[in-house]
Amino acid sequence: MTDPRISDERVNAFVDDELDVVEKNELFDGLRTDGDLSQRICELRQLSELVRHAYDKPPAIEKYRKPEIRRFGAWGRVAASVTLVAVGALLGWFGHKPPQQLASAAPDLRAMYWDEHRAFHNTDFNSVAAQNRPKRVIVHLNTASPEKFEKALATAEQLLNAYRQTGQESEIEVVANASAIRMLRTDYSPYSDRVRQLQDRYFNLTFLACKDAIDQIRDLEGPHSDVSLLPDVDVAPSALEHILERLSEGWLYINV
Amino acid sequence: MKRLAAKKDAKVMNVISDFCRNQQFKRAVAEYRENLYRIAYSWCHNAALADDLVQETLAKALKNSSQLREQQTLRAWLYRILCNCWRDHFRRSRDSVDIDDLVLVESDTPDRRHDRQEIIDRVRNAISRLPMGQRQVISLVDLEECTYIEVAQVLDVPIGTVMSRLSRARKALKEQLLEAEVQESTRLRNLRAVK
Repeated sequence: MTDPRISDERVNAFVDDELDVVEKNELFDGLRTDGDLSQRICELRQLSELVRHAYDKPPAIEKYRKPEIRRFGAWGRVAASVTLVAVGALLGWFGHKPPQQLASAAPDLRAMYWDEHRAFHNTDFNSVAAQNRPKRVIVHLNTASPEKFEKALATAEQLLNAYRQTGQESEIEVVANASAIRMLRTDYSPYSDRVRQLQDRYFNLTFLACKDAIDQIRDLEGPHSDVSLLPDVDVAPSALEHILERLSEGWLYINV
Repeated sequence: MKRLAAKKDAKVMNVISDFCRNQQFKRAVAEYRENLYRIAYSWCHNAALADDLVQETLAKALKNSSQLREQQTLRAWLYRILCNCWRDHFRRSRDSVDIDDLVLVESDTPDRRHDRQEIIDRVRNAISRLPMGQRQVISLVDLEECTYIEVAQVLDVPIGTVMSRLSRARKALKEQLLEAEVQESTRLRNLRAVK
């Protein structure tokens, strides 16, 4: 039986030679008695080998070369200006806070997206989800309400389930900022088991916490505050920037 | 007169040394071309697009060579430029190209495919299904053997995020590649037993 203190991250770090001497010794000690641990390490090494093998010889470029070479310079400038417009528009959108009712049932779900004419749309989720567009959804929380967090989890699970059943590839991110960070904090969140369970069931579901919000909590709680997050929760430098980035990439946005 | 000649010599020496430095930089950057292409391909699974991204990365690197503070960080710096080029591309092409719709480049029919190619296709397919953040981390760690700190710098995320993305990516790959294989061989064994 594997020692529960040896997390997946730590075993990965061992395989990638990222541990210091003391940590390595602990792992080696565990290896002597723990068959499961040995198995986990073997599998990780095998996966790394498989990945290396798969890209050892990527296809030759010339064979697939298109006659026309893309031009990036001018488009780069356009992308930058468009992003600036998006920042302004989203800030405005956040400012007036339209009434958002997120129900666990999809019919009442509202979503926002950025269309090809570079305009924001606030519409019902189903009509936009029915369009032939990538199934990528960002679910945003900014309050520490357990009810809202529960709704966010239920919505994410419902969508992931529906996409999985219909064989559509999808990706969902649950982004928390401001006081919603509490829902992703170890020792604070009443949802740690549920988050773990969803992470295990759906590899295409990611939880993200805003670093700006974490820093604010540290300021409030003092320098010795330990803002530790639930396992496998990613950190985005800024939730707002991250959401803008995703919208510009064509994601749907749901505010809870 | 002597002073003028010395001044002229110094100017010539400066020009030569700038030229040498540039040439050295170009050579150093060009050495990463293949690695950059491999990484770009593992992100987009499209050879022509990967090549475009690499060309764009190299052009930007040469143009902004003065921004590189330390030569030792060249690799991470190049991957970071590649990452930005990829992000820009993703952003502007989303209306016409869905990254998830890109089909892996295959020239053979499934029947004629060699075993080796079949494994490669399976792994590439599994990687292409990962969320982009996980795909980037696993390719940088496994293909380029970047350290976690380097990956954190390249992708501009905390090291904890690198570790969690890597852990989740490998977990997903394990389910798709290793566990699926075990289930398939068990199924075949059971079928044979029934016959």
